[in-house]
Amino acid sequence: MDQSFTDLLALPFVQRMLIAGLLASVACGIVGTFVVVRRIVFVSGGISHTAFGGVGLAYLAQDRLGWAAFDPLYGAGLFALGAAAVLSSGWIRRRMREDSAIGALWVVGMAVGVLLLALVDRSQVRVQDPVSILFGNILLIRATDLWVMTALVAGIGVVVALLYKDLQILVFDEGFARLAGIRVGAMNFLLLVLVALTVVVLIKVVGIVLAIAMLTLPAATAGLFARNLPAMMLLSVVLSVVITTAGGLLSLIWDLPPGAVIVLLLTLGFVLAGAVRSVLVRSS
Amino acid sequence: MTRTPAIEIRQLSAGYGGLPVIEGIDLTVPPDGYLGIIGPNGGGKTTLLKSILGLLPPIRGAVRIFGADPISGRLDVGYVPQYPEFDHAFPISVWDVVLMGRRARRGLAPGWAPEDRRAAEQALEQVQMIDHRTDRIGDLSGGQSQRIYIARALAAQARILLLDEPTASVDSRIQESVYELLSELNRDVAIVLVTHDVGVISSHVKQIACLNHRLYTHGDQTLTADMLEQAYQCPVDLIAHGVPHRVLSHHHDDGCGEDCVSEPGEGDPDDPGHGPRTPDPGHGEPT
Repeated sequence: MDQSFTDLLALPFVQRMLIAGLLASVACGIVGTFVVVRRIVFVSGGISHTAFGGVGLAYLAQDRLGWAAFDPLYGAGLFALGAAAVLSSGWIRRRMREDSAIGALWVVGMAVGVLLLALVDRSQVRVQDPVSILFGNILLIRATDLWVMTALVAGIGVVVALLYKDLQILVFDEGFARLAGIRVGAMNFLLLVLVALTVVVLIKVVGIVLAIAMLTLPAATAGLFARNLPAMMLLSVVLSVVITTAGGLLSLIWDLPPGAVIVLLLTLGFVLAGAVRSVLVRSS
Repeated sequence: MTRTPAIEIRQLSAGYGGLPVIEGIDLTVPPDGYLGIIGPNGGGKTTLLKSILGLLPPIRGAVRIFGADPISGRLDVGYVPQYPEFDHAFPISVWDVVLMGRRARRGLAPGWAPEDRRAAEQALEQVQMIDHRTDRIGDLSGGQSQRIYIARALAAQARILLLDEPTASVDSRIQESVYELLSELNRDVAIVLVTHDVGVISSHVKQIACLNHRLYTHGDQTLTADMLEQAYQCPVDLIAHGVPHRVLSHHHDDGCGEDCVSEPGEGDPDDPGHGPRTPDPGHGEPT
């Protein structure tokens, strides 16, 4: 068993899986904490689903324009950033209820993705199995994906470190943030940009549909115990590293879809943590 | 001319979509002033607060904060909001909340400077909550968290405290301790508080104003029975709308007539009209 386990860890794709799980966990631990306390889970869902349109666009551009370097991840990032801009634009917010705008964007992104993918000539361009785009596959990560993910996670980390103080004030008390001289509109947009970048990091791991799970569940689980935001971030990174790694390995051993296994393990962790917490509260 | 007033409002009309909610407001609060504004819901209390904070541009007239316009004067104003609802599960410590008060002075620079920490510590000491610095804000009682929001305003080194219904969600014993704290703080800062609680403010504030579309001030800084009469009279019909009647009758029925309200002192916490009352069989419930 030990022997076969170390053999497993020696495999390059398993190593890539471990690194990808770590990167995704760092991104979703940091940004997911803001998403959960700010209650923008469904805004994030809208952003991640819109990204599917960008995947379709990237494949179509590869096919029709010959832009071989236009990776679907870039397309997804473009669309996710566009969704972040639309959802935080004052123009939209004044004219539309927020949840209506989210719903519209959500389905338009998916529809555009399906439509554009149908136009791609698959004899010219190798299109990734749509199931793995939607639900991720941590076992199929390439080295180039890891570079993109590393750059994004580094960017997210730097932005949050520099603006942590203002982000914390914004998510705790928006009214006070405005009085304290924080540009609330710009900061809300920045927060959605961070969500968009995190979605791109998560696509390869759990896919577009399941990205909200990673953005929400580890942070929500950590939030049951954490007493401040940095602790919540740290705890959710740890939880998420453990679970994505376990999920990836289990799906490899039992030949199951990794995205689904990871999400179900995250859910299981959340439910167990909730039970543990209610026992702790009762006994204290 | 004496000192620049902390707040000076001249002929202010303010409201939404060009429709004034408040009109013709004239008000001066000195740097050591303590003003209580009472009035019914919809009378424009929030509109007036927003005007003072520079969140709502006036339709007519002007607001001056220590002689400056309200937006640049904002550093001088510590706003203590009413917190009827807030996420009690929010993972944030008392210390982090008080430090937020420093943001307006610190600006975009990342992190906090030593002077920010010193100011936050001092503010927590002023409200006697320094021992709670590591507590989660959601674990505090209503009165305790009210003190933390006051500390957040103090940490900003505000020269004016602006409080919106400071005791809306705390019981009367805690209310009294919050008002005692405010009277103490009033030695250093001007205080403006908005409330519907006529009974409580009368024993502490130096100035009372009634707001219902227009502002009825009783300019003198000492509170006289006569003035209180006026103060209570002008909102009588307002009170009938916004505040339960018993708040008004309370004063007349508890045996504390003009004698004790006529000398409440400068926020004397032991004001007999508002301390714990012993039941007096001579003054029963009104029939």
